[in-house]
Amino acid sequence: MSDGLSEHAARNRAVWDRAADSYQAEHGEHIGRAEPRWGMWQLPEDELQILGDVAGKDVLELGCGAAQWSILLAGRGARVVALDNSARQLEHARAAMAAAGLDFPLVHASAESVPLPDASFDVVFADHGANRFSDPYRWVPEASRLLRAGGLLAFSGGTALETLCWSPAEDRLTTTLQRDYFGLHRTEEEDGTVVFELPCGEWIRVFRSAGLVVEELREIQPPEGAVSTYRTEEETAWARSWPMEQIWRARKA
Amino acid sequence: MGAQLADGADLAGTEGVTLPEHVRRNRAQWTRWAPEYAERAARAWAREEFTWGVWGVPERELGVFPEPVEGLDVAELGCGTAYVSAWLARQGARAVGVDVTPAQLETARAMQERFGLEFPLVEASAESVPLDDASFDLVVSEYGASIWADPYWWVPEAARLLRPGGLLVFLVNGTLSVLCAQDEEVPPGPELRRPYFGMHRFEWPEDDSVEFHLGYGDWIRLLSECGCEVLDLVELQAPEEGEPHVYPGLPERWWARRWPSEEIWKARKL
Repeated sequence: MSDGLSEHAARNRAVWDRAADSYQAEHGEHIGRAEPRWGMWQLPEDELQILGDVAGKDVLELGCGAAQWSILLAGRGARVVALDNSARQLEHARAAMAAAGLDFPLVHASAESVPLPDASFDVVFADHGANRFSDPYRWVPEASRLLRAGGLLAFSGGTALETLCWSPAEDRLTTTLQRDYFGLHRTEEEDGTVVFELPCGEWIRVFRSAGLVVEELREIQPPEGAVSTYRTEEETAWARSWPMEQIWRARKA
Repeated sequence: MGAQLADGADLAGTEGVTLPEHVRRNRAQWTRWAPEYAERAARAWAREEFTWGVWGVPERELGVFPEPVEGLDVAELGCGTAYVSAWLARQGARAVGVDVTPAQLETARAMQERFGLEFPLVEASAESVPLDDASFDLVVSEYGASIWADPYWWVPEAARLLRPGGLLVFLVNGTLSVLCAQDEEVPPGPELRRPYFGMHRFEWPEDDSVEFHLGYGDWIRLLSECGCEVLDLVELQAPEEGEPHVYPGLPERWWARRWPSEEIWKARKL
């Protein structure tokens, strides 16, 4: 599938192939829990109830990394397919899957162009996955194409507000709007990745034009004392006042 | 129109009815502001083209209203001097203006006479509207109930008034502009001055009004809970050029070029 990758998908693939080992070493324990949990502060799905009951459902994870989520959902009776754009991440997934005594399809592809048939999933989801590293104007229509009527798209990611308040000059998160909200879309990170975030109204327009009905925007406020391997204490304190993480839920019409 | 008596509301007016504290305070404040708005009313009524918000972004560029509005039953919640209703009525809509402040409705009535354009004006809080269920195709609010009434009361009322398939369209201050707003009546800078979580009720030191502003997720949740499907969120960018607005506490053009000073929500009753 390397042919036809967008320029940013090729760049992100290269970075993730290099970074996968150190990423899993740094965060593997934090995100490798016994039950499915969301995002930077690992809030339990059983409390947030984003996906609901997945038993017997066809579920696609976009940007699975080491497939921590997919393994747990397979354990809950979902028929899982896990996709990642990085072959090295999928090697971690393959090892974890074998260790869990599971066997489900792993797909090496960008979420912007998924080699799977139309209307073949009840749930398409990502937890800070492909949604961060793929262009929403490409991957949301793909996710919608893969969903059956009535199917659920759910994904966690960053927020426009955090993107706006990041100061590249100071290399830290501030409480001042640093860049424009209008036109917010693509950001080149120092690690070489290209990441994407949209204004709220723009997300809604992307969903609607892809045939998805907006169900919910859950802005995550980490509970007091929440810890993260992704965030400093200062950043988590910021996130207690302003959303740094959000989960969208949209339904295929 | 059929009168439905809700919460003891009386078609004759709201006098003597126990209104929530924030509604009473806003009515008193709007009574004080009414003369200033009466001066601007004729100009707003005379506009041939409908424009949104303080930057005057033309409806023809945004296409927020259903097309055509002719023949639609429209309720405007928090109509003030009723220039939105006037424009819609002129396009052939059957408009009803609802406002809780008698002084504002007096101006609306004077404008109706001056411009020879009559439509019903109802004195009521948008949180308890004495109009029938499922009797409107469009409910609209531009800087009306949308910021001066409690959304957890007025949005369910708006949804109740809509027919299935009807549209709810309202303009509010942009979320970022609320987060950056100064306490004094001076324009915001780029600094976040208050938390996002917990956004709901706001009081400012300069006057006695009570405003309501919600975050994006709360608006979406509230609209969904009221049986409305979110169709659009139009975050307004100030045009590059034009006349400045007259509201000292609102963002200046440079700010509103970078971040939305206003947003329009559009939802459809299922």
